[in-house]
Amino acid sequence: MTTEKKDDRLYGYAGKILRINLTDSTTEIIDSRKYLPEWIGGRALAHKIFWEEVGPGVGAFDPENKLIFADGPAGGTAIPTGGRAVMCGVAANNLPEQYASSSIGGWVGTVMKYAGYDALIIEGKAPRHTYLLIDDDKVSFLNADAIWGMLISDAQEAIFLAHGRDTFSMVIGPAGEHMVRDATITTSNDHTLSKAGFGAVFGSKNLKGIAFHGTGDITPYDIDKVLELRLKIGDYQHIPNPVTHQTRMKSVAYDVPAPNGWDYGKLACSPGCNSRCQRLMMNMTDAFTGEKVSQIEKCTSPAAFTLKNDFYMPVGTWVTSPMNGRSVGAQRSWAKPYDKNDPDYEIVSQMWGGDTVNYWNADFDRGAMLNQLCKEYGIDKWDFIIWNMTWISMCKQEGLLTDLDFGMEPDPESPEFIRHFIKIITYRTGPEVTLIDGSKRPIGDVFAEHMARAIRMLGKEKYGDSIYHGRYSNILKKPLDIPVSLEGGWGQCSHWHGRGFSGSQKWFWCANMMLDMVNTRDAMASGHTHVSTDEYKKILAEGPCYSQTLANAVLRTENTAILTDSVPCCEWQSNEPFYPEENAEQLYAATGEKYTPEELLKKADRARLLFRAILMRNYGRCRDQEVEEIYPFLTFPDPGGDYATWEEWNDWVDLYYKTVGWDLATGWPFRSTWEAAGLKEIADEMEKLGKLPPEGGTPGYVRKENPFNGHIRKVPQEYHF
Amino acid sequence: MEMEYGNHIIQSPKEYSLCTGCVSCEMICGLMHDGCIGPQRNRIFIQPGKIKEMVHTVLSCQQCSDHPCYEACPKKDKAMCLDPKTGIAYVNEEECIGCGKCQKACRFTPSRINLVKSKDKTRRKAKKCDLCRDKEDGPQCVKWCPAMCLALSDGPIPWEEDKKEE
Repeated sequence: MTTEKKDDRLYGYAGKILRINLTDSTTEIIDSRKYLPEWIGGRALAHKIFWEEVGPGVGAFDPENKLIFADGPAGGTAIPTGGRAVMCGVAANNLPEQYASSSIGGWVGTVMKYAGYDALIIEGKAPRHTYLLIDDDKVSFLNADAIWGMLISDAQEAIFLAHGRDTFSMVIGPAGEHMVRDATITTSNDHTLSKAGFGAVFGSKNLKGIAFHGTGDITPYDIDKVLELRLKIGDYQHIPNPVTHQTRMKSVAYDVPAPNGWDYGKLACSPGCNSRCQRLMMNMTDAFTGEKVSQIEKCTSPAAFTLKNDFYMPVGTWVTSPMNGRSVGAQRSWAKPYDKNDPDYEIVSQMWGGDTVNYWNADFDRGAMLNQLCKEYGIDKWDFIIWNMTWISMCKQEGLLTDLDFGMEPDPESPEFIRHFIKIITYRTGPEVTLIDGSKRPIGDVFAEHMARAIRMLGKEKYGDSIYHGRYSNILKKPLDIPVSLEGGWGQCSHWHGRGFSGSQKWFWCANMMLDMVNTRDAMASGHTHVSTDEYKKILAEGPCYSQTLANAVLRTENTAILTDSVPCCEWQSNEPFYPEENAEQLYAATGEKYTPEELLKKADRARLLFRAILMRNYGRCRDQEVEEIYPFLTFPDPGGDYATWEEWNDWVDLYYKTVGWDLATGWPFRSTWEAAGLKEIADEMEKLGKLPPEGGTPGYVRKENPFNGHIRKVPQEYHF
Repeated sequence: MEMEYGNHIIQSPKEYSLCTGCVSCEMICGLMHDGCIGPQRNRIFIQPGKIKEMVHTVLSCQQCSDHPCYEACPKKDKAMCLDPKTGIAYVNEEECIGCGKCQKACRFTPSRINLVKSKDKTRRKAKKCDLCRDKEDGPQCVKWCPAMCLALSDGPIPWEEDKKEE
């Protein structure tokens, strides 16, 4: 890094980190310079704080769990996509509970910076129902009894009324209050922290929400550069945004008639963004009052309307060329179509065939209701639609639900059942069911523990591993096996794992599941694998599990995902195979800190390895643990009938470990790996813990035999319900 | 009495272009005038839509022809001045004492004049839309709105041009 700044001011940052102790209603100000700009912001900053402050043995619902909500230097600077933020902490929806992160759009991250803070460290447990009002320097611990129990929108409206419309909040709904493990935290413009169940952690801390009011300034270092980036980032389209009337919900993968019609507008997700990726569905019917309302829906919401056929997307969403960048793929709903003059047009415009999955038929009103119920109760839409509801569908079709009393006939196509199901989960009620250990619990209480735990409580062999026979490959023209539970790993729902939902090619799901394997949550939330068309050709030639090109692309994806959550910015407006300077230019414009792309990737490397250190120290992460967690779902065929053998997957793991400098036997980094990233002190710590493998690898390492019996996934005994 | 307004920033109807809620107009306003961004720096305001509506409204100075903000200024013609070319009122911040009288005199609710409320009294300044009078390419909020949903009221109004073509 070269330092040529005009002064030593902390440009781009707010300057303070606020520690909030809910137990004794105290706060502490930490000078941001303790961590910034060294740890960039966002996820990288959170890793550093968590490593220092939270050791092993802390569960998601323990008062000792700390939630770190962090923005980065691009927030509040008008750099496009810079308005996002992240939350990190021990996640409630992980199995087992582990440290994880979740990213979010909306206004709250930026307004937090206007209030003067780059990050919050939320710790302890409030003695009563509480919400926080952070109004510049003043932090109030307010009694939340009046809004406890309220739906998301009602609570936000109450906060608006109490504190003014220039106060922006993020709150939990009843699901978070009841510590439903996939509960969300939702902003007043309907953006959610979904991917870790942090809404349940808020509930465990008696924290209904946080309201921000800020009046301060953020000063970017180089205004000309900010303006340049506004025209450069993404595939900038300076075009109007008309609201159009629709009579269908339509895409390449689905077509749902909307009998009463709806109006379609598009919104940006965060302050300063030059894109409009959020689908504003206007003139929809409120699931609670029947009034006409708007809903904001994103990538997975259309699945609520129909899931007879699996979703698929053009290959160009993941494989990009200089003429057809990622943002073109991501913004197809409103921006320009693929450029047919591209020599690689045939590659980027091809479609991966989706299976016929027969989960549920099209019904616009039912889908709209399901989406809104998830939003208002505060439950992760992705998991509820793609995991809970597909499970109901598959189990029902296989006749597996006859021994379970839901309080009414389970039916994924029944609006009444959907309303009932989500309600008994939210409030942990419903008829009692007998669990595999002989104990009894209300069925809603069981599913409130999230699908991975619920299935194990009910009996995984039957409710998780039974084969669904309603899946049909449109490529092979024959049925293909899939288990009734679309579980990817670490208690997370399958997401671009190539089978059951979002079918894809082998190289792509191998890459995505490698990302998930070394992570703790759904890595696809901000880190889908992206490659160039040239890389794509090499990967196919080398073979997915043996491709150094793919291993390098996975590492790049991991590191850029960390930067995405730290700068912060947006994966979908980035185009790193062709614009590797993007994050460095954003950081320079915001802070004046000059990095080459290579120097910045080293910073990401350091944050990625610190995350590995947290997993090793706090949760015993090692090769066997992560391979056995992720492998079972790969034994089921993708839409082309392909799957990974035990040997193939382990060869792929070997290749990736070698690429990142980890020991093949243990999955632990070598001292040289730690030190190359500037983490000598971590290497010393790992040596004390007995987790520093000898350089060159553990002597005599022999690959473990396949511990699985066919397709049946072993239930780890150490996982407690 | 019907009020008369000068040339001012207007928001297009949503049939032509819906505000995306990106608040780029607010941010660019602060950035171009003050070199920083914050809720006290913008001279144009996004009023967020209701929670279940999410249709945002852009609020801007209407450049009233009788300019009550100018009339209320205790340092009239030094702090709050009138542009001889356009007739609109603008703030000369070097002279502005941040008393807030112009903000209170604005006939709109919420007031279209912003105010930096610094503890340091010398930093208290009124912020009023001056249509970027020092920029050759006109109001920067119009220029940088990615959805092209802002325009000048006496400029060519694209959605009305569209209507004519129909």
